[in-house]
Order: sequence, then structure tokens, then C-alpha cells
Amino acid sequence: MEQLVKFIPLFPLIGFAIIGLANRRLSKGVTGVLATGSVLASFAIAVIIFMNRLGGDGQAVTVTLFDWITAGNFSAKFSFLVDNLSTMFLLVITGVGTLIHLYSIGYMHDDDGFRRFMSYLNLFIFFMLLLVLGDNYLVMFIGWEGVGLCSYLLIGFWFKNIDYSSAAKKAFVMNRIGDLGLLLGVLLIFTATGSVTYDSVFAQAANITIPVVTTATILLFIGAMGKSAQIPLYTWLPDAMAGPTPVSALIHAATMVTAGVYMVARSSVLYMMAPISMDFVAWTGVITALFAASIGFAQTDIKKVLAYSTVSQLGFMFAALGVGAFTAGVFHVVTHAFFKALLFLGAGSVIHAMHHEQDIRNMGGLAKKLPITHATFLLGFLAIIGFPFFSGFYSKDEIIIQALAHKPIIGYLLIFGALMTAFYMSRLYFLTFMGKFRGTEEQQHHLHESPLSMTVPLMVLAVLSVAGGYLLQGYMEHNLTLGAAVTASTEIEEHTLHGLHNVMWGVTAAAIVMAVIAYVLYVVKGQRPSSDADMKGLEKTIYNKYYVDELYESLITKPLNSISSFLSNWIDINVIDRLVNGTGGGINALSGQLRLTQSGNTGFYIVAMVLGMALLVAITVFM
Amino acid sequence: MNELLTLTGLGLFSMIAEIFNFRKAIFPVIVLGLLGLLGLCYMDWGSYNSTVTHFSMMKVDNFSIAFTSVLTATALFWFMMSRSFFEDQTSMSDHFSLVLFALTGAFCLTSFTNITMLFLGVEVLSLPVYVLTGSRKRDVASNEASFKYFLMGSFASAVFLFGTAFIYGATGSFNLENIATYLSTQPQLSPLFLVGLLLMLSAMAFKVGAAPFHFWTPDVYEGAPTIVTAFMSTIVKTAAVAAFFRLFYLSFSGIHGEYADIIWAMAALTMVVGNVIAAAQNNVKRILAYSSVGHAGFMLITILVMNDFAAKSLLYYTAAYSAAGIAAFLVLYLVGSANNGETPLNAFDGLVKRNPIMAGTMTMALLSMAGIPPLAGFFAKYFIFVSAVENGYIGLVVIAILSSLVGVYYYFKIIIAMFFGKPDNLPTYFLTPIHRFLLLFVAAIIVLTGLFPDFVMGLMTI
Amino acid sequence: MELIPGISTEHYIFLSVVLFCIGAFGVMYRKNAIIVFMCIELMLNAVNLLLVAFSRQWNGADAQVFVFFVMAVAAAEVAVGLAILMMIYRNTGTTDINVLNKLKG
Repeated sequence: MEQLVKFIPLFPLIGFAIIGLANRRLSKGVTGVLATGSVLASFAIAVIIFMNRLGGDGQAVTVTLFDWITAGNFSAKFSFLVDNLSTMFLLVITGVGTLIHLYSIGYMHDDDGFRRFMSYLNLFIFFMLLLVLGDNYLVMFIGWEGVGLCSYLLIGFWFKNIDYSSAAKKAFVMNRIGDLGLLLGVLLIFTATGSVTYDSVFAQAANITIPVVTTATILLFIGAMGKSAQIPLYTWLPDAMAGPTPVSALIHAATMVTAGVYMVARSSVLYMMAPISMDFVAWTGVITALFAASIGFAQTDIKKVLAYSTVSQLGFMFAALGVGAFTAGVFHVVTHAFFKALLFLGAGSVIHAMHHEQDIRNMGGLAKKLPITHATFLLGFLAIIGFPFFSGFYSKDEIIIQALAHKPIIGYLLIFGALMTAFYMSRLYFLTFMGKFRGTEEQQHHLHESPLSMTVPLMVLAVLSVAGGYLLQGYMEHNLTLGAAVTASTEIEEHTLHGLHNVMWGVTAAAIVMAVIAYVLYVVKGQRPSSDADMKGLEKTIYNKYYVDELYESLITKPLNSISSFLSNWIDINVIDRLVNGTGGGINALSGQLRLTQSGNTGFYIVAMVLGMALLVAITVFM
Repeated sequence: MNELLTLTGLGLFSMIAEIFNFRKAIFPVIVLGLLGLLGLCYMDWGSYNSTVTHFSMMKVDNFSIAFTSVLTATALFWFMMSRSFFEDQTSMSDHFSLVLFALTGAFCLTSFTNITMLFLGVEVLSLPVYVLTGSRKRDVASNEASFKYFLMGSFASAVFLFGTAFIYGATGSFNLENIATYLSTQPQLSPLFLVGLLLMLSAMAFKVGAAPFHFWTPDVYEGAPTIVTAFMSTIVKTAAVAAFFRLFYLSFSGIHGEYADIIWAMAALTMVVGNVIAAAQNNVKRILAYSSVGHAGFMLITILVMNDFAAKSLLYYTAAYSAAGIAAFLVLYLVGSANNGETPLNAFDGLVKRNPIMAGTMTMALLSMAGIPPLAGFFAKYFIFVSAVENGYIGLVVIAILSSLVGVYYYFKIIIAMFFGKPDNLPTYFLTPIHRFLLLFVAAIIVLTGLFPDFVMGLMTI
Repeated sequence: MELIPGISTEHYIFLSVVLFCIGAFGVMYRKNAIIVFMCIELMLNAVNLLLVAFSRQWNGADAQVFVFFVMAVAAAEVAVGLAILMMIYRNTGTTDINVLNKLKG
């Protein structure tokens, strides 16, 4: 049954090819159906495989498509690995992907680039599937670069806007920094083990020395930092909100940004061997979680708040990985995909209704006008703050409990982060949907609920956000045995875990209290964020994201610019150009001389051949 | 063997078809026949019996099937590109049958196990090509090319035969296996054998166009009709280099040390001479001719390395080079035929605006020849370099890389002309459907064989 | 294996090398294309002589068969060569090979 997996990436690729090649020859309707249908078909196969594995023995299966490169003793096969981890990701990518494709039909319908948009989305799904399906680092790397490319294309989808295309460029460059780390990591692993295939790398992992495995895992994690927007490479993600909202939901919340988590979870065997790398991952995660959450407090753009919340939640996932709770991290990836996609799509629905207004200072009281959007957004909001029995409750609690059990300090900081999340998400929700409408007359007049193609995905995702955690909890615990080695060695006693569960009820209660405080502040007292001009002190600093972009600008970009202008204005002209032109001139002069040998005279040619033969004899005799 | 017989039949049909007024059927029959040949190759692949030799003259093995497939596929493309050229002429069926007979010779060169067959293959391949080179009878350049090719070719044949005679004198056999056995039993090489070896080596080097026996190549390539040049630079080159490899692999690999230095020097000289002289050319046809000399140098490295992986890389190199060659010469032919047969660099100015498909495919072909990843040409060079480095020929690889850099320079001269030149007063082109299909198809092949090198490499498991 | 007493294989080798060299020098230095063709024939005949001599030495027939192949191919070559020469003569009015040096550089 696992053999069917070959078809999963095939459908989106075909969809991309047809839509990309046919372009205007297809009507918008056909394009939408084709794009969504191709991902839906993949989803159907993923479900079949999942169901089949549920009844089976859960063994990993490798499906080889073809031998890709064989050179010397290096060989890479183009093959897919189907195990519980990749199946989980398959379901999320194709499932959420289908919903977002459906949503895009409504959201992007009036855009001129509709077909281009759909074809990019399909291409993205294809690469994302390669990323999680590959059975070696090389195939994963293709997927990794491919999703980066699609992310670039989609962030800069409205490329006529200079800001948007520079946001796309920023995302691309930041990702390149990470990709370099990833590539070096993969090369180091190859040098150490002579293979890039997961199975054989992990089988030989015991033979690698600790410093090497530490370096390799940190390099891999640098790749994850870029792709999953961790400090210090996170600044591209908020800017990436320049892309259309479905892109933010699909790529920059549910799937691509979790590729880093996938990669670290996939390499868990290596990370388990390197405690230093684990600490590095955990601390990067937790600092990012807190830092991004604090920025979320003062943002006023609905999508920016969600973007920082995504960065923060990704921090949670990495913190989980770093304390050895790989399963909890992956669990959070899944639930986060549900509720964050829902929140983004809900935000998209709001933006759609508000005619591209994104500033929450100009919203308020939308609950009545947009009942479906409001109801689903509310459920997503409850899920993210960890309201009891919603999906976020299970996964976030699992992360914090594991952290408390393994590295308590990380656990405390994460609790703090969870409370911050509860507050700023409540702020976002109340400012948007409660209170009085603060926009213009015209906007109020045009407020309308979105079409069915947009609200159906919202409803489906809302159901998943509510029930997903409860449903998957057991599956995750029993079927994803990542990093099993460490959990066994430092077995936590049952009653300790029980005690921690009690602590979590306290944390959940505190989170609800935070939400109530936000309610009082923003609904009862009717407080609203200051306008840009009125901001002062800390609020202004946070609103401007701690000036990190400016810091990077002055610390990295400007010095680099001046170095590069020196290189281009002086070194390039005076050294490189002379060198190159000199070489070129030398070759040309040599060429001009050598071509005289080609005299055109047949007799001369034959003499030269005979001399050549004499030369051969001379070489043979004298050497 | 079935392939050879089928092809001969095809040639005979093509020769007599005109007599029976089947002219219209010739082209479709040839295309179908070549497709059938590919099918035969497919059926033979892996299912041959390697102990069977045909009167100890030829033997079918994966080497021969793989190269036969490459030759057949190239020939198929070649016929598709040349259709319009030969239909203009009164003697279409003569030309087609000449080409098919030349191809028969090329097939012999991939499967021989006896020097007799090697000699016959070379001659059967060469004689029709002499004639084709001169097929523009009123054109003095075509005459001159034909004459030079013929004269030097005959001279090289005489040298080859003289060498054969010496080797026979030393070993008493023309059979390659017997010669190999003789070499493994002799503690000391007889001078007779050594002289014979050197003479044969020179003659084979002439056939593949390696320096210092390359002098015919640029002149003949330039003077011949472009379509015939395409044939020479793809099919003739592939067959010759495959024969060179097979000859040395089957019989002389035991005394590798005797000739390694010579091939080393020859490969280095060929790469440098071909690439460097190409840099100063202004005629695109001549640039491609010199580049073809340079490529022969790269292919010689596989003969120096001489192991199974080298054979695979040679197959891949010839396939990649043939694909790029077909594409480049087709564009060259189209540009030339709208420009009185002249192909100076400035005839390509702004080609991208005049016909994007031609410019695009030409760019792909040139980038592939220059060895830019991820196109086929990159991996072709890469595999050869890997095999050379593994066998310790690092100095040669350095020379190879430097000369490919020079190659990048002149390939980009053409690309720059196509993309940035001003197309004033130059004609626009309208492609026939068959040419458009061919250009796109070959461009796809260049990309796909680059992305999936093992599909070609896997054809050969010696 | 001496067919004629006192004349060994070495003598034949020597003779055919001399013949071959005469032919080669002719190809290199003669101007008239027809004489050049004749010199190539001379080279081929030197080969034939050598092959037959070795055939006697090894007491095998295959070299003699080879000679027939060489003769057949040589005939074909001359036919093609003379045709090419005819064509050139029609266009340039001469058989001097030094006239043919337009393609160069």
C-alpha cells in the first residue's frame, strides 16, 4: 500500500504543470478545481496510507523511484520514506493544503494573477511533499530549496509593489544563510558516515565522534533557524506577510516554517547524541518564544500579530525538541497547523471584508457582521491560548510538562510565554471582534461575510482546532517514538508527571485570567492602541520590534554595503578586472598565434601529422 | 547484430526506392526504421549472450548496445533536422542511403572484436562522409573540405593499416582477445608490436580529431554543409571515440603503462589547442568545430582512465555532447540558410528577439557544452573528472578545468550576441513544426539527462 | 619460413617500410593531386606486402584475406577520390593541391 506514495507528490506537480503551461487557456473555475483537486487527490492517498498503517505494524517503508546519481562511491537514490512521522506531515500538508487551496479560490478570485497563484501553490505543495518524503538528506534538500523558492515567489506575488518584492528578497536572503548551514551540515554528515540516507546515517551514528556530531547538528539547526524563523533569522517572517493571506496561512504558518522542526525531529538520533546541540536548540526556542511574544503585545497589524505569534509558537516547538520531547514538538506542529491556519484564514476573511484594511485600530465589533468568521476565529483563539480540551491545550501542555520534567528552567520560561500568548491573542481577538466599529463609514457599509468557498475551510479547520488535539493525543503518544532513547534513560516517575499535570491546570487557569484581563482592558474600558504618532517609550520600542531590523541594517547591511562598494569600486576595477582582462587578452593573443598553425595547406597538415607520430615515438622511447 | 542487418536493409531500401518511385515513402520508412532499431536495442539490452561472437568478428554486449542506442537516437534526430535540406536536392535517396550506410559503419565500430571489422567499420563510415562533405558540388569550400578530409583520411587509413600489419606480425592474429592473451603472456614487448601500437594510436587519434592529428577537423567542419557537419560532430565522433575506447579496452589495457603518457599528453594538448584557438574565432561554425576538438580531448581522458566507470562516463559524455551538438547545429543551419550559408557571430545578434525558441535551445546547448550545471554537459565533465582524479590524474584535471573555463568564454560570446546584440536588418525565422518540435525536444533532453544522469549511465554495465 | 632461400621476413619488413616512407613523403611533398593519390596507393601496397609476408611467417590465411579487404577498400577510395578531384577540377581548373587553402585559421 505504501507504494502508492509515489503518486502523492505527482498530483500537485501535474497540477502545476497543467496550470502553468495552459495559463489563460483555462478558465478560472477550471484552474481552481484542478489545483484544489490535485491536492485533494494527494490527501486521499495520504489518508489511505495512514489508515492502512494504522491497522498494520507501523514499520517504516522505503519506496525507491529510481537511482538518481551514482558517482564513485557516492550514490543517492530518489526514494521516499514512509513512516509514522512522514505520514503525519503528509496528512497535515495535503489536508490543510486542500482547505487553503479551496479558500484561495474565493480569496484570490478577482486577482489578475489567479492562475499563476494557483500554480505556485501547487508547486509549493509538491516541494513540501518532497521535503518530508525523501529518505535521504539530498531529496530533503531539494524540497527545502524548492519551498524556499515558492515562498519567495508567493511573498513577492504582488511584485509590482517595491516593499513586497523587497520583503520577498529578505525572506530569500535570510533563508540562504540558513540553507548554507544546512548544506554544510549535510556535507559534514556525508564525510563522517559516507552516506546521506537517513537509515544508514543513523545506523552509523554511533561511530561519529561527539564533536563532529555536535557541529553537524548545530549546522543543521542553523538551516532550521532560517526556515523556521528562529532568533536571529526570524525577521523575514513578519515581513513575509506581504504575500496574499492564504500564502501566510499555508506556507508561513502551517507547513513550510515547520520544516525545521521536521528536520530536527527526523535527525533526532543525531541530536540525542549531542547534548550541547540540544541545549542550543532549547534555548534558541525558548528565547524566540518569549521575544516574539513580547513583540506581539504592541503590533497593530492583524497579520503581523499572527506572524509574531507563529514565530513564538515555533519557539515552543523547538524548545520541546531541545528538551528531548520530539513527539510533543511534532504534536504541536500538527495542532498549530490547524489553529494557526484557521486564524490566518479568519484574518484573511476579515481583511477581505474590510477591503484590505489590516490595522486592528480600525476594526472592532466585527462579530455581528461576520458571524461565521467570528465563531471560527474564536475557536482558533481558544485553541491557541490553551483553553481546556481544545487542541492547543494538549500539545502545549505536553511541551511544558516535558520541559518541566527535563529542564525545569525552560519549563518556567515557557509557562511565562504561554501567559503572554494568552494576553496578546486575547487583545487581538477583542480589538477585532468586540467593542465598537472604528473604521470609516464606507468600510462599515461594505462589511460582508465571505463566500462559502472561504467559510467552509474555516469551519473544517475550526472543528480540527477544537477536536484535533483530543483525537491525536493517543496516536502521537503511541506511534511516534522519536528520541525514545532518552526518555527511557531518564524515566520520569509517574507521580511526578501527575503532579506536573496539576500544575498545568493552574497554568491554564492563569491563561484564562490573562484573557479576562485583556477583556476588561479592551472591551470594558474600551482602551485602544495609540496611533503611530502618539506612541512613546516601551510601547514604541516594541511596536518597532525592538528595532531589530534597524540593528541588522546598521550592524550587517551597512558595513557589508560599504565593504562591497569598496570591492566593486576599487578592487574589482583595479585588481579583478585587470586580472580577468589580462587573462582574456593573454588567451586571445595565444589563440591568435596558435591559429596560425591551421595554415589551410593540406601538405603542411600531413607533415604535422607525421611529426606528431615522430613525437609519439620520442615520448615512448625516452619516457 | 539484428540492428546492423536491419539498418543495412534500410539503406538498401533507401537506395532503390527512387527507382520504384517510392520517394515519398523514404523519409517515413527511415524514421520508422530507426524507431524500430531503438526497439531492437531495447529488446537486446541485458538479454544478449556475451559468449556468442559472430565469426569472431563482432560481439554484442552492453557497451555496443548502449552506444548503438545513442547513435540511433542521434541519427533519428539528425534525419528529422535534415529533411528539409535534402528534399531540396535532386538526389535525396542517394544522400539518405549514404548516411544510412555510414551509420552501418558506425554500428560496426561499437561492436567489433576483430581489427578487420574495425578497419571495415572505419572505412564504411568514412567513405560516405567524404562524399557527403562534398555534396555541394558547385561550392569551392565544400570541394576543398571534401578533398582535405579524403586525403588526410586515406593517409590515416594507410597508417592504421601499417600499424595493423605490424601488430599482426608480432601476434599472429587480428582478434582482439588473442592479442590481449598474447600481451598477457609476453614478458617483454617486441619492437614490432610497439611500432604497430603507436601507428594505430595515431590513426585512431586522427579519427577522433585529437591533437596533433586534429588539423582536418576545423577546415572540414567549416567547409562541409552544416547538416553534414552536424553528422560528423555527433555520430562520426561518437562512433570513432567508442571504437578507440573499445579497441584499447579489449586488447591493449594490459599494457596501459606503455601508452598512458602519450594519451595524457594528447588529451592535454587537444583540450588546450581546441579551446584556446576557438577563443579567437568569429565564425560560429568554426567555433563549434574547434570546440569539438576540445571535447575530443575530454573524451580521451576516459581512454586514459580505462575502467568500467570511464566507459559509463564516456557514454554519458557522447550522449550529452550529441544532444547539444544536434541542437546547436540545427540552429546554426537555420541561421546560415537565411544568410547565404554564412554564419559569422553577428548573424546571431539579437536572435532571442527574432526567434526565442531557437535562441533558447541554442543557449541550452551551449551552456551544456560549456559544462554549466545542472545541464547534461556539466555531469558529463564531472563524471570524467571524478574518474580521472580517482586514478591520480590530477594535473590533467587541472588542465581540463582551465580549458573548460576558456570554453565558457567563447560559448558566452555566442550567447551574449544572441541576447544583447542588436538585430538590425536581420531576418526573422519561422520554424517548421518538425524543427520546432526537435528544438524543444532536444532542449528537454539536455535538461533531463542532466537531472537524471543514471538513466543514461545505467545503460551500460560492462 | 623462407619461401626464397636467403630472404627472411626482416627483408620484407625493410622493403615495405621503405615503400611506405616513399609513399608518405610523396603525399607530403607532391603538389599534383593525382600523384598524391598514387602515393597513397603505394602506401597501401606496402601494407599489403607486409601483410602477405607476415602471413607466410605465421602460416595463416587471415592476413591474406585482410589483403583482399584492403584492395577492395582501396579501389573504393580511389573511386571516391577521383570523383572529388573531378569536381574540383571543374570548379578551379587545376589539380594542384596548394590551390586548396581557402579554409584556414
